[in-house]
Amino acid sequence: MSDAPDDAKGAHAPPESPEERRRDADDGPRLRRAEDELRARFGEELREGEEAQERVGASREAIVELQHVSLAFDRPILENISLVARRGETVVIAGESGTGKSTILKLILRLLQPDSGRVLVDGEVINDVTYEEALVIRQKMGMVFQGAALFDSMSVFENVAFPLREHTLLSDEEIESRVREKLEFVDLEPDRVMDQLPAQLSGGMKKRVGIARGMAANPAIMLYDEPTSGLDPLTTGTITRLIIKLQRELKVTSVVVTHDIRSAFRMATRIALISERKIVFSGSPEEMTASQDRYVQDFLGGV
Amino acid sequence: MRVLAVQQYFGLAGKAIRFIVARPFYRGDVVQQMDAIGVQSLGIVLLTGFFTGMVLALQTSVQMAQFGATMYIGRLVTASMIRELGPVLAAILVAGRVGSGIAAQIGSMRVTEQIDALNTLGVDPIKKLVTPRLIAALVMMPVLTILSDTVGIAGGNVIASVYVGIPTTLYWRTVWEQIASGGFVLNYIPTDFVQGLIKPFVFGGIIAITGCFFGINTKGGTEGVGHATTRTVVVASVLILVVDYFLTQVLLFLFG
Repeated sequence: MSDAPDDAKGAHAPPESPEERRRDADDGPRLRRAEDELRARFGEELREGEEAQERVGASREAIVELQHVSLAFDRPILENISLVARRGETVVIAGESGTGKSTILKLILRLLQPDSGRVLVDGEVINDVTYEEALVIRQKMGMVFQGAALFDSMSVFENVAFPLREHTLLSDEEIESRVREKLEFVDLEPDRVMDQLPAQLSGGMKKRVGIARGMAANPAIMLYDEPTSGLDPLTTGTITRLIIKLQRELKVTSVVVTHDIRSAFRMATRIALISERKIVFSGSPEEMTASQDRYVQDFLGGV
Repeated sequence: MRVLAVQQYFGLAGKAIRFIVARPFYRGDVVQQMDAIGVQSLGIVLLTGFFTGMVLALQTSVQMAQFGATMYIGRLVTASMIRELGPVLAAILVAGRVGSGIAAQIGSMRVTEQIDALNTLGVDPIKKLVTPRLIAALVMMPVLTILSDTVGIAGGNVIASVYVGIPTTLYWRTVWEQIASGGFVLNYIPTDFVQGLIKPFVFGGIIAITGCFFGINTKGGTEGVGHATTRTVVVASVLILVVDYFLTQVLLFLFG
């Protein structure tokens, strides 16, 4: 019941009509100017992104993969989505609000099942696993929710310790040292925050505790749902740096859903842009700025 | 849709019951819920139980006076409290106080994605959230009911001696007569007690499952949480009264 299809983050925002989009098309020079402009604007972010790609290299095995996935509830949400995240890669799924981006994360976590197509995690097809098997598969993944989704009846310590208590046989001392380590990793002072309740934390701190909880059991895959939405620019920078640090130091594979293209450029090895239920662009941040596609340019220009 | 909801309701109940005997056990959560459901409801249940007993004694004294049978007030108060009013009133109060709280808490966990978080952390939310509440309600409702019955009968004693002038010893003797009159199960347990304890046990289950069901299925943000709590109180109260009737029929058939 808990994976009932009740939370496909409403795709109710009517997307811009194709007519509007085509309205002032066929202007090559304008687009080239736009590309230069984008390069100037995002130069630094792009360089960071390139570094990330170099670190990952190319021919690694796919660890998260969607093959021709379609999903519909009352109306179609996703159509023929194919997406690969290789080991160590950071794939950013970008797009307007309400285009089913978060739904992709729910598919990877098997909180939802696709109508057609296959979802693979660590080489295993997870379409038809039972609810109990799904609980086990999810332990390979750490999820960071948009609103952090910390358990508000538990202290910060208990939140971060939760996955360890549930799935490991670590002693209390080992759990405490692991929690401290994770809190330090996300730049929080363990002694100051451990006994606080989530309600006492600021938005950015909640996010960081959420990341610490997500990575507590050392998952190979981290999933982020809008990690920077609703945060001030400074905190956005901190969280973005944190995600990069995670991928750099711990070599985790990340799938990030965001509409914040600036931080996307900084952390992505690849970006998939979703519009009207389909992937309209997929490639490196470099390729994205160079893309002559009208929608891609509009999306970047609208930042 | 309605049929589906009923199916889901029983599905949830079945799963929650099965998890009672499956590891891991969340002892801490069970104790915490026992406190929230049982200990914290004690005051209100005792207060209403006491007044219910008093009003029962008052009403029956007027009726019985017409037949000169006021000495049987104790029997009537006892029968009504143990068989019906104790279990039903306590259950309806707890449905309002605790059922709504369960729905609100789990509902807000749903809308803030905490239920999804449990799922993604590889923990079945039914096991972690529903089963501890179910166990706590199943244990605490009978306890609350026994206490409610007791103070209710004591309240009857107050009215019987103050207004009607029935000596306390006589009152309590008629109370015991009533309890013994139904006979005993296994030679020791009065059948009235059996009837009076099966009911709160069932009602406790109804309250916990109804609250959890509407909580887990909360949709539409904070407004949805409001709906979930309201529905819980309405549905749980109605279910308690309806199930009470059928349960009474079965119990009367079994124990007479």
